[in-house]
Amino acid sequence: MVIWLCAAVVGFSGRPSESQAEDRGSLRRVADGDSSGLGALYDRHGRAVYSLALRILGDESDAEEVTQDVFAQAWRRAAQYDESRGTVVAWLLVMARTRAIDRLRARKVRPEGRVRDDDGLTLQQLPATAPDAASEMLALERGQRVRHALGSLPFLQRMAIELAYFEGLSQREIAERLEQPLGTVKTRMRLGLLKLRDALLEAQP
Amino acid sequence: MTPAHDDLKHDAAAYALGGLEPGERAAFEGHLAGCAECAADVRELQKAAAGLPHAVPQVSPPPSLRARILGGAVATTPRAAPAPVPMLRERRALPPWLSVAAMLVVGAGALVYAQRMQARVSNLEAQLLDARARAAAADRLTAEARTVAFRAQAAMGVFAAPDVARIDLAGQPVAVSARARALWSRQRGMVFTVANLPPLPSGRVYQVWVVTAQAPVSAGLLTPDASGGGSVYYETPVDIAPPTAVAVTLEPAGGVPAPTGAMYLVGKPSPL
Repeated sequence: MVIWLCAAVVGFSGRPSESQAEDRGSLRRVADGDSSGLGALYDRHGRAVYSLALRILGDESDAEEVTQDVFAQAWRRAAQYDESRGTVVAWLLVMARTRAIDRLRARKVRPEGRVRDDDGLTLQQLPATAPDAASEMLALERGQRVRHALGSLPFLQRMAIELAYFEGLSQREIAERLEQPLGTVKTRMRLGLLKLRDALLEAQP
Repeated sequence: MTPAHDDLKHDAAAYALGGLEPGERAAFEGHLAGCAECAADVRELQKAAAGLPHAVPQVSPPPSLRARILGGAVATTPRAAPAPVPMLRERRALPPWLSVAAMLVVGAGALVYAQRMQARVSNLEAQLLDARARAAAADRLTAEARTVAFRAQAAMGVFAAPDVARIDLAGQPVAVSARARALWSRQRGMVFTVANLPPLPSGRVYQVWVVTAQAPVSAGLLTPDASGGGSVYYETPVDIAPPTAVAVTLEPAGGVPAPTGAMYLVGKPSPL
């Protein structure tokens, strides 16, 4: 047990690039039309993709559809993935965010929606399959780090970032919502992101 | 530096967050292609943005989703699409009139079934629309309640701050009956309460300023209610020079970096 824990902890530093290499391999299989590659990608990142869509849309069936769309797109466009622009998981999450925000905006045009219950969601569902302990710990640790960094930002910086990323509001809409001049919103968003980057880099040498 | 660069560089953070409107985005990307400085800036900001999805509570999707995704993907790809199989060619044993009669019978049954289903679907759709409309209303209320709760909490913080200062503002000649009071704490921000401001001309907004020995610092914008009143919380910079006054001016919508318009209210700090 102790040995396993040590191995897991030591594994952390090398882990991101290692899992990127695994993802890269899976994506190559996808590009060759091998659906086992898609299954592997889903097993590693399906939960993150679904959780992001759920946070943005607040609706389980919408989040499922977005997740389905993201992996369908990964299946069709695996060959277009460009490693110089980011990791495979970042690529999947960008697709998830874009699709979820598109849905959110479409919903505003045709008003329909449901009560969001962000705090209750985690309790309602138990993991369907137990993800392996080390990657689970890594994900938890990374999540805590980002949440902590976000939480330590001044209110306006945090709001500007969250409203843009999770609610898909434009800078103008954020300025209205926060009753601040547009220029202030732009500078706060930038300052907040730079602080967030520093916090993330510090924790991950 | 080109003028485009000076204007557009401030959009880098929103671009990294995927928060630019389509027009703004096209303009920024056009600039990005030829500007190494902005490209490097965006790369740094994207590192932070890429961390955001990991901050959300992690929830497992239902187990059935995996099979749907794998099945769906394989079915939609041109590589895996099975070649069409000619199935009806072999079935020529029945006389043509019989298959026509059979089709009529099946067709009549299908019609009745379809009508029943149609009625059920319309009924369910109506129920769904109704539920969605009610949920959307609840959603708006929740969002409003959250904003109100945050403001109340922030305002309470200012009231309770050990370093709170009171500034009473008097109406100026353009708005003699206007009155306002600001409670300001260096650490916790400012609560600003106003009454009797004249209605805003279109395209204009009131802007609140913390005036210091160096320069006026914008606290934020102010849109009074129908009676010219309101209460607003502003976050103010903690490193600001000691305020010598608080003032309200009329400015173009969206606000300005330094006051340009007529002064409506002004007042100096007084001991509490």
